[in-house]
Amino acid sequence: MAFFEVLITYWPRLLHGLGLTLLLTGLSAVLAGAISLPLAIFRTQASASAQLPLRTYISFMRGTPLLGQLFLIYYGSGQFRAELQSIGLWGFFRDPFNCAVLAFTLNSIAYQIEILRGGLMGAPTGQIEAARAIGMSTLQTYTRVILPHAYRIAQPALGNEIILLMEGSAVASVITIFDLMGETKTVFAKTFDFSIYLWAAIIYLVITGLFVRGWRYLEKLLNPHLAGHAPAEAPHPVMGMR
Amino acid sequence: MNKDASTTLVVEDIHKSFGTVEVLRGISLTAKEHDVISILGASGSGKSTFLRCINLLEMPTSGRIHLHGDHIEIVKDRRGNSRPKDLRQVEHMRSKLGMVFQQFNLWTHMTVLENVMEGPITVLKQPRVEVRERAEAMLDRVGLSERSNYYPSALSGGQQQRVAIARALCMEPDVMLFDEPTSALDPELVGEVLQVMRRLAEEGRTMIVVTHEMGFARDVSNEVVFLHKGKIEEQGPPQALFKEQKSERFRQFLSKVR
Repeated sequence: MAFFEVLITYWPRLLHGLGLTLLLTGLSAVLAGAISLPLAIFRTQASASAQLPLRTYISFMRGTPLLGQLFLIYYGSGQFRAELQSIGLWGFFRDPFNCAVLAFTLNSIAYQIEILRGGLMGAPTGQIEAARAIGMSTLQTYTRVILPHAYRIAQPALGNEIILLMEGSAVASVITIFDLMGETKTVFAKTFDFSIYLWAAIIYLVITGLFVRGWRYLEKLLNPHLAGHAPAEAPHPVMGMR
Repeated sequence: MNKDASTTLVVEDIHKSFGTVEVLRGISLTAKEHDVISILGASGSGKSTFLRCINLLEMPTSGRIHLHGDHIEIVKDRRGNSRPKDLRQVEHMRSKLGMVFQQFNLWTHMTVLENVMEGPITVLKQPRVEVRERAEAMLDRVGLSERSNYYPSALSGGQQQRVAIARALCMEPDVMLFDEPTSALDPELVGEVLQVMRRLAEEGRTMIVVTHEMGFARDVSNEVVFLHKGKIEEQGPPQALFKEQKSERFRQFLSKVR
């Protein structure tokens, strides 16, 4: 059974790769999540002309391939080695892991801004007015009313973005990072056993499946008010349309 | 401006334009303590806009608002947009004006009790234990203490509106503002909300009520204001106003709604 043999021999490498994949994805997703919130608020508040640079950035990030962006940062920074050395940033850019985190973060920021913007705009106007009418400051209105609604609305799409980011993180393997895909490639180069790719696919699949489960659980946990009060036989207006 | 000791709220010369349309053309109103003022008017007369200008949910183009120690002045910024001179003061004034909306506007992600406790805790920074006690008392007063742990979506419109009233009351406001509080309700639910409002009036709450409920305006309020095209067309005690109208428009309005 060659199919299992390769896994039995090389599972530690796949496990190590998986760890790196999760680290890459998690770090980029969290960083992007933190940075995209203020930018998304800016996107809903600022005048069209003030938003132009940000919108250009978003268009660029969403309009070019992730692999290209990764190359631009990893190989591009090499072109400016002297300059980067003079400001003490070369140490950061010579590590491919850092370059990958930077590229994925910058890429995910663009998507997360747009997802959050949708959530912010979907926060119910009347409830925002009620917050203002009771005397809340702008900050309090955001933390107590707008953001809970915005994140509820954005959460499914954010989950999707994180999944895409994880699948996309496989491109890191081309800049010598031994993430799950990188490890898989080296194992294949040694063994020429194609089934290692199938194992990698299964691992990606399982991780995604677990993530979806966890994300859904989180959705329920954070939104107790959406646990249906309607009688069980009444189908959801959208879910009911099959 | 009247500096009478019992004067609670003074609104002076409120103007409001949406683009080139002038919706409010200089409205002034004084509420003394225990006053219940009903604002009547046809659709488009500006009555809701006026109420929303009092707590600056709608920014008046010009005007002044005084509520006890707070004096809100509307100034123009460099671009010519109207804005309050001091935003902090606006927030402070809002915390003393309890607003009840047509659409209730309860925070749907909070339980009934959390809705009522939210303002005093977040805005007034009062201790949770104390607020909780008061919030439960308020919910009891509007007859909803058994619904404390429900989410708003599980309540009827009338119940939601009563929670909204409790939410406003829990801030211990100087004046309660009601923006057509029964207009979004099914007919059979109107009564329960009006009953709560009547009780508040009897307790001596200062209230300004935009309403279509003529019975409430006539029986409960001590002053009626009829708006027409952004101006006060007629004003006075309901007993006199409902008997005889100086204004032809007010007469027509009453004949249509009665």
